[in-house]
Amino acid sequence: MTSANSPFFDAFRRPAGWGFSSLLAVGVVSFLAAAGGRHPHLAWQAYLINFLLWSGIAQGGLLFSALMHVVKARWSGRMAGIAESMAAFFPISFVLFLFLFVGRDHVFPWLHYDLHGKEAWLNVPFLLARDGLGLLILYGVGFVFLYHSLNLRVGMLAPVGKLRTTLHRRWSRAEMDPDAIRSRMTLWAMLYCLSFALVLSLIGYDLVMALDPHWISTLFGAYCFVKPIYIGLGGLIVLASVLYIRYGADTGLTADHFHDVGKLFFGFALVWADFFYAQFVVIWYGNIPEETSYVIARTMTAPWRGLAWTVLLVSFVGPFLILLNKKIKTLPRAMTVLCTAVIAGIWLEHLLLIGPALNHGATRLPLGILDLLITLGFLGMMALAVRFFLNLFPEVVHMPTRDMSP
Amino acid sequence: MNTLTFKQIDRTVLDTLEPPGRSYWMVVGLVLLGLLGGAACWVYQILTGIGVAGMNNPVHWGTYLINFVFWVGIAHSGTLISAILYLFRAGWRNPIARAAETMTVFAVCTAGLFPFIHLGRVWLVYYMLPFPNQRTLWPNFQSPLMFDVVAISTYLTVSSLFWYTGMLPDLAVIRDRAAGRRKRIFALLSLGWTGEHEQWRHYTRIYLFFAALATPLVISVHSVVSWDFALGVIPGWHTTIFAPYFVAGAIHSGLAMVLTLMIPLRKIFKYEQIITVGVLENVAKTIIFTGLIVAYAYATEFFIAWYSHNQVELEVFRWRALGDYRVGFWIMVSCNTLAPLLFFIKRIRTHIVWLFGISILVNIGMWFERFVIIITSVGHDFIPHAWGLYYPTLVEFGIMLGSFCLFFFLYLLFVKHLPSVSMTEMKETLEEDTAHEP
Amino acid sequence: MNRERHLMGLYSDERQAAAAVRSLAQSPFKVLRVHSPIPSHRLAEALQVKKSRVGLFTLIGGVIGFFAGFTLAIFTALRWHLIVGGKPVMALVPFVIVGFEFTILFAVFGNIIGFLFQTDLPRFDLPEHYDARCSGDHFGVLATCEDGQQDQLSRLLTRQGGQVSALDPGGI
Repeated sequence: MTSANSPFFDAFRRPAGWGFSSLLAVGVVSFLAAAGGRHPHLAWQAYLINFLLWSGIAQGGLLFSALMHVVKARWSGRMAGIAESMAAFFPISFVLFLFLFVGRDHVFPWLHYDLHGKEAWLNVPFLLARDGLGLLILYGVGFVFLYHSLNLRVGMLAPVGKLRTTLHRRWSRAEMDPDAIRSRMTLWAMLYCLSFALVLSLIGYDLVMALDPHWISTLFGAYCFVKPIYIGLGGLIVLASVLYIRYGADTGLTADHFHDVGKLFFGFALVWADFFYAQFVVIWYGNIPEETSYVIARTMTAPWRGLAWTVLLVSFVGPFLILLNKKIKTLPRAMTVLCTAVIAGIWLEHLLLIGPALNHGATRLPLGILDLLITLGFLGMMALAVRFFLNLFPEVVHMPTRDMSP
Repeated sequence: MNTLTFKQIDRTVLDTLEPPGRSYWMVVGLVLLGLLGGAACWVYQILTGIGVAGMNNPVHWGTYLINFVFWVGIAHSGTLISAILYLFRAGWRNPIARAAETMTVFAVCTAGLFPFIHLGRVWLVYYMLPFPNQRTLWPNFQSPLMFDVVAISTYLTVSSLFWYTGMLPDLAVIRDRAAGRRKRIFALLSLGWTGEHEQWRHYTRIYLFFAALATPLVISVHSVVSWDFALGVIPGWHTTIFAPYFVAGAIHSGLAMVLTLMIPLRKIFKYEQIITVGVLENVAKTIIFTGLIVAYAYATEFFIAWYSHNQVELEVFRWRALGDYRVGFWIMVSCNTLAPLLFFIKRIRTHIVWLFGISILVNIGMWFERFVIIITSVGHDFIPHAWGLYYPTLVEFGIMLGSFCLFFFLYLLFVKHLPSVSMTEMKETLEEDTAHEP
Repeated sequence: MNRERHLMGLYSDERQAAAAVRSLAQSPFKVLRVHSPIPSHRLAEALQVKKSRVGLFTLIGGVIGFFAGFTLAIFTALRWHLIVGGKPVMALVPFVIVGFEFTILFAVFGNIIGFLFQTDLPRFDLPEHYDARCSGDHFGVLATCEDGQQDQLSRLLTRQGGQVSALDPGGI
């Protein structure tokens, strides 16, 4: 049982909030300054990269919970609860998506290309409509799943605060027994998984692949939804580790939880690398110029070549070799460092895909302090969203005494 | 759960190893006839030349490749069930793991024959092996066909070793219950296994490593097979999605074959309490999942073909859906993506006849998928005046029938001489279930 | 010198067998072996078995395989030193596949070799004091005691609910 006066509840309120808000402020200020300055495309490039990265982490986080529910996993309850908190970023992500169109001259280079007939697909109104609708569906379905999942998780507990009370009233009125809630959850979890694959593929084609409008790769869509699963797991591990370091056994998390989610993380490192290689080997081997120009620019030409090797080492070779060891998956501090590095590596991978298309003929990497500041801003936004959620539902972290879930 | 005991499990499984009746031998004889017929067709082809098959310009890969990919694909879900589901700790795999893993081994054996059959000059097959020779020939390891050699032989070796190691404790059970010559044979086969704690200590560890190694292997093997096509440049083949698409399709067809095999097996061997409808239902649910992945792949290929605005790509996909082989295409789409959707309905996925029927449909659909991919791309690529059609000949049908008979022949021999359900893993499931009780 | 006597306690329940092992650990008698039809966490804990080292064999096999695969592919390519299909002679991109498959193959060989090595299998004669029921539905705890202490040992074993079979009626 929780109350507004419990020390646990309070712990969330104070210093973290100010820290994250200041990060956000730094990000916003630097973005606006750069967007209004001499090289706005650098600001918008960083915006696009971060939008995709952080939305991906949030989408992948909720997917973990949905997936665990669909396969009726028994070990993951507490982890899934923490993963769901990342869904709080969804509304922010949607607004960020809409705002992306303010910078359309910079993030849609094909606006000024001769598209040889692809204008039917690549035009701003249609793109805004279909991707916006897709995100609405994805986030909507995710929220319905979340609604039912929270009902099961905290629905019986005493509400505090206006939003909680409203929810509690709705849940009590519906008065569903746990099995009925679970089957509802299964339906919406499956719909979320389906939307995840379709919508994120679409976003991958529209926002990333289309930057080089005459290049195609059929696996690109799937590649773009495997990445969020990978970094979603990474984000989950970081969040769970931070909470565990702070609150210990109160979180209900055990070494086994970390071991299992660490194994999943390792598995998806392999899946991500496999999807990368599957595209690379086919394009390399066929050696067809209209396909290879994209790959050559990114993996064999300076300045992007070094970045490509960095991404491979940081986000695949490193985690692969390190995670072969069983013990390290159960050390929260070590995993936090590793997963943060991997997410940074995937940030660089986004730059690798997007950068050459937005900076033709670059001789040095368009990477600088601005990118770091804007990234910190997005980090602040994500942290504030998660914090808001955990303040609203502290039982997700602090195990209520009556909760028997694993 | 049901009221199985260790003794009952042993009894049920060991009963299946009793000397079989006449009907069994009749079926085996029939299947053997088919197998010999296929062998005869192959001998005829070796003596006469590969021209007796239907391959020609431009379609130079036909049913031999289709069947090769088909059987390798079937093999994959055996490893999914025994290795991947083991890593995910899905208990429902235990009743079917042994039968599925056996399906893998025999399917790879059957698949492995087809490169030989397709060679034409079979007596030169040793060209493909890397050893120092006076011809100073070495294989070219940049060729996808050499990738196949390496991958398929690795897969066969690893699967066989995994299958055999998994059987060791069960072979000891049979040894302890048998007498006379059978006891001596199984004493040899079980390598002296006695279930000591020291043996179990190492065994559980290597079993975990087997599962952990077989998982990336299975994904790599069918990716390699898909790259036989994707590394070429012709439209409909040269596409990056092939690797995961083929892996998902392989698991899809393999799971359907699992159902096709398990449903008669459990009836004839009275395994209903062990291979419960719940287990079959879980297989059906997984088929929904793999079917959706296959559907995603079909849709993506068509979308990207349109998006690319590439004339050749567009024409190949138009021809697939509307051209000379459109019947095969629509069989493929309906059997692979639509039929499994019926499994969303609980009544259907728990009904034995529906499960069996839909599994047959999926097998047919997956065979036609390989047909559509291989034949339509090669027969309709860049230059219109080089377009052509392909029809399999009787020799090819004979060999195909022979391959199916080979698979079922091996499987029939297996189920009467070796335990088709893993007694050890079933007992583990029982023990785990009681452990969860308060 | 006193002769050693062997008694095997047979239990139909894993928990009883584990309890027997624990009580034996605190007694003057020695547990020689424990046979079970299934791998058992409880028994492993009661016996305090150390983690198996077979993984080392697997890892070494994998590393050997990784280098063997690449070596084979690179060596055969360099023997001919021809540009085929426009690809470089030493093309690491496709050779990754060969290296990967060989890694798995040799890791599995290492797995098997490690297993056979560590368990001393194959063994073509059954050890003395083996009860066939142990592969079926019983857990067998084999304990030794001095000659004359059989009754004591027998009582300890049956206290946990098992049957006892004396395994050397006339001698060791």
